[in-house]
Amino acid sequence: MVKASHAAAVGLLALASWADAGATPAPSRSFDQITAGRAIYRQNCASCHGIRGEGAPNWERPDARGEMPPPPHNASGHTWKHGDGMLYRLVHDGWRDPFNKTSRLTMPSFGTQLTPIEIRSVIAYIKTMWTSEQSAFQRTESRREPFPPEAR
Amino acid sequence: MTGYESRPRPVPARRMMLSGAAGAVAVLVGLLTWHGANADASHTTSAPIVALGFDAQNHVLLKATAETLYRSADDGLHWTRVALPPGAHGRISAMATTARQAGLVYVSGPGLGVLRSGNDGRSWEDRNAGLPARSVETVAVHADQADTVYAYVAGRGIFRSRQGGLNWRLMDRGPRENILQLIHSNMPGSMQTGWLFAATASGVRRSMDCFCGWRNAGGLEGKMNAVTYDPRQPEQIYAATGKEILLSSNGGEQWTRLNAPGPALTALLVSPDGVLYAAGGGAVYRKRDHAGTWERLDG
Repeated sequence: MVKASHAAAVGLLALASWADAGATPAPSRSFDQITAGRAIYRQNCASCHGIRGEGAPNWERPDARGEMPPPPHNASGHTWKHGDGMLYRLVHDGWRDPFNKTSRLTMPSFGTQLTPIEIRSVIAYIKTMWTSEQSAFQRTESRREPFPPEAR
Repeated sequence: MTGYESRPRPVPARRMMLSGAAGAVAVLVGLLTWHGANADASHTTSAPIVALGFDAQNHVLLKATAETLYRSADDGLHWTRVALPPGAHGRISAMATTARQAGLVYVSGPGLGVLRSGNDGRSWEDRNAGLPARSVETVAVHADQADTVYAYVAGRGIFRSRQGGLNWRLMDRGPRENILQLIHSNMPGSMQTGWLFAATASGVRRSMDCFCGWRNAGGLEGKMNAVTYDPRQPEQIYAATGKEILLSSNGGEQWTRLNAPGPALTALLVSPDGVLYAAGGGAVYRKRDHAGTWERLDG
């Protein structure tokens, strides 16, 4: 469970995010969204990306199979460099690193397992792992690459 | 931001790779032209060329030495000196052009920072606001977005501007090795919009343009003086090391050696129509296809 102080911080972050995006703040919805996103993350993402978003060991180098390991989602990774639209697309469609030595997707597709709102929720949860500077950068990127209509 | 207007001055002519008497005549003609045209012409015959550029829409070939920028509207037959702002101090170390916008040229270098021209060098503007220093080693333009520019500041990292250099943001510290040249390519497969390739002091490094991690491209070793790619086939990457030209047909995974013009190479470029240009020993060379021979464009 998330501690009360952490939850409050998450709520503030979510509020800031809503305010920056020019949308009407909806604190309860944001908090619910992050709570739901945490549960989805633990069920679908944590086994590869780590329970705290720490990623796989040695994630910056190809593994023995010639595949890039799952990167961190926390502040030590690069997830915060992507806009909302790209994060949504990566979760929904998956993605294959063109230099992997196997033909399978590097990031599996979750488009048939998760609804658009669930994908948005898990992204909202991942956003709680970033620094304020990283969050600010990601909001800027998201203005160019917002969520697709089905996730709004 | 400062602006500066300049007028081009003509300088010497093209010299093909000729032998014997014909070559001697060509050299003599070139020298006579040089003396008559411009006292600064020695830059075109001896100073190393540090960068090449190509304005595809105007079909203008550009070359730069550390001190001077030149343009040619006839594929190297005649060169015209392009003046930089009189207040610009430092040396040129890189140049970037794009097929997406006619006349757009960036030059960068230690002391210069980043200079931008939207009219093939007739006027220039400082584009350094937001950069921590003017020690800009190299500059690159996004393959498809003319307003997206990358600048590498030694010791600080890679900065990106999405407004043609009007403001900059630190994106990444870059690979561990010092970057000597940076290019952006629209090779498919990126999470974002393309890839960055860096010629470094030890091999070629590659990253998606989301700055999601730098990787060694093909395990090359040694100093890479230049890197470029073929806009018609973005998986084809060229790198120059010493007197050698290396070609990868799969985005930098494997490399093969191409025949090279001879001298130690300092710059590479592939024009949008697939012509490979190389600079070395103060001269520019051209090769129209892989099987073709090198043709010297100037002396």
